[in-house]
Amino acid sequence: MADSQKKKRPVPEAGQWPDKLLVPVLVAGVVLTTVGFLMAFLYAAPVDGAEVNGFQLIGSKLVTHRQLLSQKIFYFHMPVAIVSFVMLIAAAYYAIRFLASKNQRYDTCSRVAMEISLLFVIGTMITGDLWTRFEWGVWWTWDPRLTTYLILMLIVIAYFVMRNSVDDPERRATYGAVISIIAFIDVPICMMVTRLIPTSIHPVVVRQNGMAPDMTITVMVCLVGMLCVAYGLYRLRFRTVRIEERVEALKEQLEEE
Amino acid sequence: MADELAIQARHLVKAFGTRRAVDDISLNVPRGAFLAIFGPNGAGKTTLLRMLATLSRPSSGTLAIEGVDAREHADQARDRIGLISHQPMVYPDLSAEENLLLYARLYGVADPEARVRELLDQVGLLHRRLDPVRTFSRGMTQRVAIARALVHDPDIVLLDEPYSGLDPHAVDVFDQLIDQIRPGHTFVMVSHDLRKGFSLCTHALVMARGHVVTADSKDALDFDAFERLYRETVGMGVA
Amino acid sequence: MAQQNRQRLALKHPSTFAQYRTLLSKDLRQEFRTKEMVTSMGIFAVLVIIVYGAALALTAQSIDIASMSGGLIWALIVFTSLTGLNRSFSHEKEQGCLEGILLVPLDRSVIYLAKATSNFIFLALVEVIAVPLFMFFFMTTVPFAPTFGMIVWPLLLGTIGMAGVGTMLATITANTRSRDVLLAVLFIPLIYPLLYACVTATTAAILGSAQWMDLYTMPLVMAAGYDVIMLLACWVLYGFAVSA
Repeated sequence: MADSQKKKRPVPEAGQWPDKLLVPVLVAGVVLTTVGFLMAFLYAAPVDGAEVNGFQLIGSKLVTHRQLLSQKIFYFHMPVAIVSFVMLIAAAYYAIRFLASKNQRYDTCSRVAMEISLLFVIGTMITGDLWTRFEWGVWWTWDPRLTTYLILMLIVIAYFVMRNSVDDPERRATYGAVISIIAFIDVPICMMVTRLIPTSIHPVVVRQNGMAPDMTITVMVCLVGMLCVAYGLYRLRFRTVRIEERVEALKEQLEEE
Repeated sequence: MADELAIQARHLVKAFGTRRAVDDISLNVPRGAFLAIFGPNGAGKTTLLRMLATLSRPSSGTLAIEGVDAREHADQARDRIGLISHQPMVYPDLSAEENLLLYARLYGVADPEARVRELLDQVGLLHRRLDPVRTFSRGMTQRVAIARALVHDPDIVLLDEPYSGLDPHAVDVFDQLIDQIRPGHTFVMVSHDLRKGFSLCTHALVMARGHVVTADSKDALDFDAFERLYRETVGMGVA
Repeated sequence: MAQQNRQRLALKHPSTFAQYRTLLSKDLRQEFRTKEMVTSMGIFAVLVIIVYGAALALTAQSIDIASMSGGLIWALIVFTSLTGLNRSFSHEKEQGCLEGILLVPLDRSVIYLAKATSNFIFLALVEVIAVPLFMFFFMTTVPFAPTFGMIVWPLLLGTIGMAGVGTMLATITANTRSRDVLLAVLFIPLIYPLLYACVTATTAAILGSAQWMDLYTMPLVMAAGYDVIMLLACWVLYGFAVSA
């Protein structure tokens, strides 16, 4: 009444064509980011900060505003922040694919994207905090962007705490997928809520409308560079995890024979 | 032939990544049969039973419950299945009657009150129907669990280690109840207890590491031969 | 097989709404019998108020209390909800009941809606006691603004959202180790936007200053938007979480 036959089991594949791109992408990313770093200081014009009393001689130049060196952080802060959110989008995308297929590969993708996102969120927090320290003279302020990224960081950490406390791998993957989708929905709402609700307590950040072309170019170079770095890291980490899984599977197969 | 089968499974696989809890199992359980599934811990018995109960979705393969595709029409299949587990699945703070009424209403039994009384009478708990299940002994709770599993009159009754935690008297009562409902029902039981399971079953199946190692109708075997076979095959599986 | 043509019991599938009602009345009846969730949340709320008493001992100025009270009320509600939500799946897990429910042919989202509704009812019940208690202890010196009654709306929207998101997260954490801590770790960051909006609206209503509407309407709209989006997402995803 029962029959079962041996079949060759599929082993997790690893080392597809994107892995060949890994090194060039990573190198390109590092080069572009370095170029962006240099451009931020050498190419992009300094931005005017607070107005000074009349004219003042600073660094053998006559200026009406204090020049903001801390503004240079902006060229790294913004791309890092964007990249971390892009990685969160990737995690949510793979989470949806996982829920649709229950294929473990997508769970690995989603988890690795979350890991890279965490890395960049922490980067955002550090650069953001430097910014508040130098621009506003305080270590922390409940600025909408900073708050959103703090919340994002806490959610991503919670995601990993959750993964660690579930034993069954399929259940862990399903819960992880659900949480990453909810996080992806929650973060933009958080941004909107903290930005749109008027409040007298929080300092209002005045932004000039639009950026000068030299600023835009610098930001774009940094952004592309960091996206490349993020993608490279993602592939690298994914490859490692995948190869581990492959080794595990091959070991099991050998044991069985 | 096919409409004689209560459960027909083809190449059932439950896999996640490289781990395969159930690896390519095919089953044909005829109507009225009692299939006992044996195997050591981690053999995949419970995973298989959970798939049969539609609690867990197979990764691949097909499963037909009373001729209904359980993956496409899970709700229709669920109407035909009752599960008695080692966990009673009843709310301890509700009375026996309230618990059964809850399930009867969820399943949509035509006259819930009458059906619940009939079942409580059958399991001999009519006199305590208003007491919360928390005050019941383990054996009585298991009787409520039987009534719960039968409330929608399923064709197939699945048993997942039903004896764990029962004292000998409760085991006897349980066996009597199973004997009573045996006509007209198909049973699948997962158990550690070789002797017990073998005495009840019409068909026996031994699993190890997600595979079927032995499957036969009981007529072909006597208990000693079966026990020997079990030890051999399972021992081999563990090595 | 001789018995295959036996008479089967007729099953008439109940409507989704009937199943929802059955599940909800089960939760309510169980809570009515044990009073477990409401008691534990109620006691916890009183304890938080006592801690506030010590923490605010030196803030004698009624004006300070008035501008802080929105935040304090919501801190009280969030922590109290956490204790309640942690308990909400303990009955379902204790005897494997959730599995029993999953064996029934019913839509998984009905389970979510029923559980979220019962959690909402228990949270609301506790708020009805805790918020007046807070006012009794801390706000008797504060002159009542005419807009004070409007705190009902942020309270309502906040409770809906917290019950909805909390039910989803409690389902997930019920199957994990260290579930109490994990629920807090997931719950607080995820409801942060809702909390922020509700605190702003509540404070605006309590202070009732000249432009209170500016600070009240927008957060309320935001809270409503959060509720709709998050509840929809949880409703869609619940089937995956509960069957895992």
